[in-house]
Amino acid sequence: MSQPPDEPVKYIESKIHLPYDYVAGDYRALYMRALADKKILGSRCSVTGKVFVPPLMSSPESFAPADELVELSDRGIVTTFCVVNIPVIGREVELPYVAASVALDGADISIFAMVQECKAEDARMGMRVEAVWKPDGERTGDHTDISYFRPTGEPDAPRESYINRL
Amino acid sequence: MTQLRNVAIVGFAQAPIVARDEHRTAQEMLYPQVRRALEECGVSRDDIDYQVAGSSDYIDGRPFGFVMALDVMGSWPPRQDLHVEMDAAFAAYYAWLRMQAGDCDTAIVCGYGKSSEGDLDRVLNLQLDPFYLGAIGLDPTSTAALQASVFMEREKKSDVDLAEVTARNRAAGARNPDALLREATSPDDLAATEWVAAPLRAGYLAPKGETAVCLVLAAEGKAESMCDHPVWIQGLDQRIEMQNLGARDLAVGGGTELATRKALAMSGLATAADCDLVELSAANAAEEMILCGAMGLDPEKPQPVINPSGGALCGHPLMMTGLIRLGEVFRQLSGRAGERAVPDAERAMAHATSGHCLQQNLVIVCGKDRRWT
Repeated sequence: MSQPPDEPVKYIESKIHLPYDYVAGDYRALYMRALADKKILGSRCSVTGKVFVPPLMSSPESFAPADELVELSDRGIVTTFCVVNIPVIGREVELPYVAASVALDGADISIFAMVQECKAEDARMGMRVEAVWKPDGERTGDHTDISYFRPTGEPDAPRESYINRL
Repeated sequence: MTQLRNVAIVGFAQAPIVARDEHRTAQEMLYPQVRRALEECGVSRDDIDYQVAGSSDYIDGRPFGFVMALDVMGSWPPRQDLHVEMDAAFAAYYAWLRMQAGDCDTAIVCGYGKSSEGDLDRVLNLQLDPFYLGAIGLDPTSTAALQASVFMEREKKSDVDLAEVTARNRAAGARNPDALLREATSPDDLAATEWVAAPLRAGYLAPKGETAVCLVLAAEGKAESMCDHPVWIQGLDQRIEMQNLGARDLAVGGGTELATRKALAMSGLATAADCDLVELSAANAAEEMILCGAMGLDPEKPQPVINPSGGALCGHPLMMTGLIRLGEVFRQLSGRAGERAVPDAERAMAHATSGHCLQQNLVIVCGKDRRWT
């Protein structure tokens, strides 16, 4: 092997640009459109009756179709949470904030949500929360239509009501 | 030869190929096919030991994209799983190997992916080495045209030959309800299509499409109860060639030639002419001629029939084209081929490929009878 060049090659630049144009899929499209109307849709498993949110075509658990769409409440229960001290990618938020798993009333699985209007030390499993929507005219039918969740002030939900909906 | 386990294809489900499905994600397209394939076999997901899939995360546009498909493959409680970033036919090969190891008796093999969502030229450019070939922006049609050019010069083939190969496939595809292009076209009309990368015209290129497929494999002892006519794997072989396009002779399919020879020997056959039909994964008309040369096939002869389904030239869903060839072999030998059935077919060969210019090749010989007793 000959000697490496006198002027070392520090790097080889490789610019990869891959554009994509995703099909939303009818389930996701209906879910997104409903958010603009302050509605949250789920789908019900035809065998177990479990409700998934966002809606799925089939149950990963039972392998059965889940083709019945159901409207869910925009209120639910914090099933688990953490207190985050690092910034959110692409979003301005005061630190620390509470990131939570929220089981919406009527759903059998939880969604992930940011909890605001709540001190980190007050966050707890079983806490009742509600969605804070963007004002009318500003919702566009995507995940940011729900700005965040906040405590409702109701009594905490009993553990058995959410422990299997993590 | 060492005693091997007899493994059969016992089910196959495929949605018709479309240019773009506007209503469903790749996973939503796959789910009904997995259910159909299992229903065809009269089994539930609990009867399946092992699952494999072939797809491309670059086509999905997300790393580890394949895990999204697990939700629609019936994989709860958690099942043994394998994914290959290759045509799903290669996943079938690995499932067969796994059955030889003896730790599973049944497997589903899935192929999926929405190639309409990304820019395939950019995606497939990334298969090349990133410093020399990829960096200059080569796309798969251009590399295929380089290969076609040297082949045509060497073998004295002309534009008319490419038109005739394509026209034969298109005539066959008209009888295949799952094909993307279902209209016969004359060689003259094909030879009037525009140049994409000379010597390849638009008419000679396999039309990109998307679908979802699920094939079911079962070992002897299980296969018989899952299918009225199990189609037994009698021989198979896989070969990979060098990645550097300049380092190999593009005019001959060296890997395909060796894989065919080994697969035929394993199945106890002397030549490809002992098969009644062959399904090839040729992404353009010149590739089909190169494959015919490598595999010892002569389209002028009545046997074997080449691409009774119309082949990839009537619909080319990336990552699935090869598995569909294997599925077509199953349909032909199990009496499920409808109007495109090859009469009295007893044995057939399926070919799958991945990579630029036929870099990776898999050949599977199947028959109505068990190979090993």
